[in-house]
Amino acid sequence: MTFFKKPKKLLEQKNTVNEDNIKGSGPSSQSNIDTNSPSEQDDTINQNQSIDDLLKSIEKSFSSSEDLMTHWIEMPADKSKVALIFLDSIIDKQKLQDLILNPLFELDKGIDLHTFEQVINIDFRKQTDFSKIQELLLQSYTLIFTKDTNCFFSVFTPVKTERDIAEPDNEAVIRGSHEGFIESMSTNIALIRKRLKSPKLVVKYLKVGKETHTNIAMLYMSDIANPEVLHEIEGRITSIEADAVMTPGNIEESIEDKTFSLFPQTLSTERPDRVAANLMEGRVALLYDSSPTVNLAPVNFFVFYQTPDDYNKRWMLGSFYRMIRLFSFYIAIGLPAFYIAIVSFHYEVIPSALILLMKSSLENIPYPPLFEALVMELTIELIREAAIRLPTRIGSTIAIVGGLVIGDAVVKAGLISNLMIIVVATTAIAAYTVPSNEMSLAVRLLRFPFMVAAATFGFLGIVFGLILMFFHLCRLYSFGTPYFAPLAPFKIGDLKDTIIRLPFFKMNSRPSDINPIKKDEDNHTRKWEKS
Amino acid sequence: MNSSHTITHRQLFFVIVQSQIGVGVLSLPYTLFAKAKTDGWISLLLAGLFIQVSILAIWKLCELYPKQTIFDFMPKIVGTKLGVVLNALFVVHLFSVCVVILILYNSIVSKWIFFQTPRLVVILILALTCVYCITCTAREIARFLMLVSPLLLVLFFFVAYAYSDVHLLYAFPVGAAGIKTILSGSTDALISLLGFDTALVFIAYTQGKSNSKLKAISYASLCVTLFYCFVTFTTYIFFNPVEIEIVPEPVLYMLKAFSFKILERTDLIFLSIWIVFVTTSLISYFFFTAKGVQKLLKLNHHKSAAPYVGIICALIASIPGSKLDVQLWSKLIGMSALCCSALFPIFLLLIAIIRKRKEKGAVST
Repeated sequence: MTFFKKPKKLLEQKNTVNEDNIKGSGPSSQSNIDTNSPSEQDDTINQNQSIDDLLKSIEKSFSSSEDLMTHWIEMPADKSKVALIFLDSIIDKQKLQDLILNPLFELDKGIDLHTFEQVINIDFRKQTDFSKIQELLLQSYTLIFTKDTNCFFSVFTPVKTERDIAEPDNEAVIRGSHEGFIESMSTNIALIRKRLKSPKLVVKYLKVGKETHTNIAMLYMSDIANPEVLHEIEGRITSIEADAVMTPGNIEESIEDKTFSLFPQTLSTERPDRVAANLMEGRVALLYDSSPTVNLAPVNFFVFYQTPDDYNKRWMLGSFYRMIRLFSFYIAIGLPAFYIAIVSFHYEVIPSALILLMKSSLENIPYPPLFEALVMELTIELIREAAIRLPTRIGSTIAIVGGLVIGDAVVKAGLISNLMIIVVATTAIAAYTVPSNEMSLAVRLLRFPFMVAAATFGFLGIVFGLILMFFHLCRLYSFGTPYFAPLAPFKIGDLKDTIIRLPFFKMNSRPSDINPIKKDEDNHTRKWEKS
Repeated sequence: MNSSHTITHRQLFFVIVQSQIGVGVLSLPYTLFAKAKTDGWISLLLAGLFIQVSILAIWKLCELYPKQTIFDFMPKIVGTKLGVVLNALFVVHLFSVCVVILILYNSIVSKWIFFQTPRLVVILILALTCVYCITCTAREIARFLMLVSPLLLVLFFFVAYAYSDVHLLYAFPVGAAGIKTILSGSTDALISLLGFDTALVFIAYTQGKSNSKLKAISYASLCVTLFYCFVTFTTYIFFNPVEIEIVPEPVLYMLKAFSFKILERTDLIFLSIWIVFVTTSLISYFFFTAKGVQKLLKLNHHKSAAPYVGIICALIASIPGSKLDVQLWSKLIGMSALCCSALFPIFLLLIAIIRKRKEKGAVST
């Protein structure tokens, strides 16, 4: 709850700034003869102050932060003094020199800042809205004040702190683009635009977080995406009122339909080609400032099982591997539970030849199967968690210790049966075949309740677990669209790109669960006649 | 009624199929054999025909009062006060149907899987699962019921596997039991075909033309009747007539005999799938009941009635302990359910038609 509480102090402060602006806007059009404004307005940033007062009040509003720099220069034209103010830490001084100072001194003597705006530089802008001063400074702008305090000038001089475009580690593909998003939003948008060179690709900027001012870009195809969904997503984002919105996870949790569900309701990806393909299906992409993660919404369950690799394989192979992935979903949630149910309740289900084998493996194990399974599954989760934190060089050590030493020693010590090791290992591998990390996590957590259910009620427990899970999937929505489409509600036409992947020329309509405005995909990839 | 809660007539078909196929499928051949001998499958077909009459009545009622459940139009037909009383009685009837489903489910589970587990525990896990499932709208329920329908094919293949070892001669001579016994057997068959009465609430949520709704329900009933008939007939030609008398769940005994290379005891897998069908029919009856309770107590949403419906049914269902008790309960409730679900709609329709005529007469004079 505290996340959404409005800080009262901040609101009040904001209001006073606005009020003062309204008050001040009247006389601002007149000349600034009475620049020595009354001292009671000292700590607000106002138009009708002398330049010194103005700078002081800006400094005060930043709590005299030491990276706020003020720099006086003398104009070559009329020897008047102008002030440059910027946040030293987030601007590129080289850029400032190149963009402003150098041209300023090299050009004709007759030039002043107003003409400068028009001829020299597109990032150079005249501003009159004094309430935006703080915001501009925080966005790596350098502000230039002259004696004429009616207006000021702003130059965009961001410091470049981006890393190079690289392939995202957790979404690697064999064939296809190896580009991934980085921490700069404009670069990310550029990567998408490079793939969708269409005037219908719309970018809409939103801002959340009263202190963090996190920028969000909403991308969609104006002729495909459903306006209702757009409206819903935009409404939910703008309704976020919090001081700090730091990570995409914060936004995801504030806008998704059901927070108390294990299943992710937005797809996060770092791959521009994946985003572009989903935009063309009518989904909406949310890009965040300084985050390489892009969220796609609305999604359904099967989107998490698609990967760009599928479309670069021959379609039968693509379908085969997609089915393997979906099958792995069942293995990952059900295999340990199934094994526990068989061992502790229904050993009569397995054929008689296998019974002796199982018995010899289980005979000397002192623990019940549920305990065995829980210990091994938790060990695997431990190894996984440790492997994420460790640098790669030590990571391989962990793999050896975890995989070989524990796996082998635990069986030899007689704590865990070797059949259980096989089951647990298969389960772990199955959980990692999910292309999306969030879904993989959900699946890994899901198997614990299934194991407990199987240990208490055998097959019956698994069946009830599955009923509950599938019912939950049926009643889950992602931004008003059914999550388990196209299986529930069943749409046979939409199965072409979910459980299997049909050839490209069969995909002539977009999935209908997200209600795109333009349903037809206008694909005519096979216009030639077969001989 | 909110427009986002509606279902299509295709979904209605699956809802009815899923509500009809339930606990009955396992023991139906045995109960039919007790009366009509090897002609039980004919009784079943006849029962399917009788049901069609009730279905027509239900459909006509819902057509006269579109977008209303039975609890909405009952007071309009018989008057407000009597309507409340009849609604209450109907809710009691629905409770008893839910209870009997739970009782029969428990008797089979405790016989085949859990011999020692307390009754209440086995019953509660089913009841609570269903409570979770009905705390949403009719649309999501319909989606789920449609999603699990392919499992019907699995059941079908399991039963069809028996055709590797059947003796058609067991079924002959056809009609040896005589028409009278066949007819009396069809009342037993009717009880296991119950479930079509959930249409009384689900039609109200269905969009589309009135005719397509009738088609959906009728086809659903036809499919279920044929499926039951297939199962019954298969067991009759698999076991010889002397054997069936000693196997109360012929389907399971039949499957128990099969073993595949990778799977022994097919009956346990079959039972696991059968539980899904018990759950689905209980979901629709719970939903029906919760809607009734909502109307009676004037609640805002049937969601708030759901947990009470589930827990009360579970507690009542755990009362009968001995095998005889179970038989007695299921017989009594079965007969009352037959009257309320199959005959009552016809009766109600007659009153509704007479009343409408009178009103028309009153207007014209």
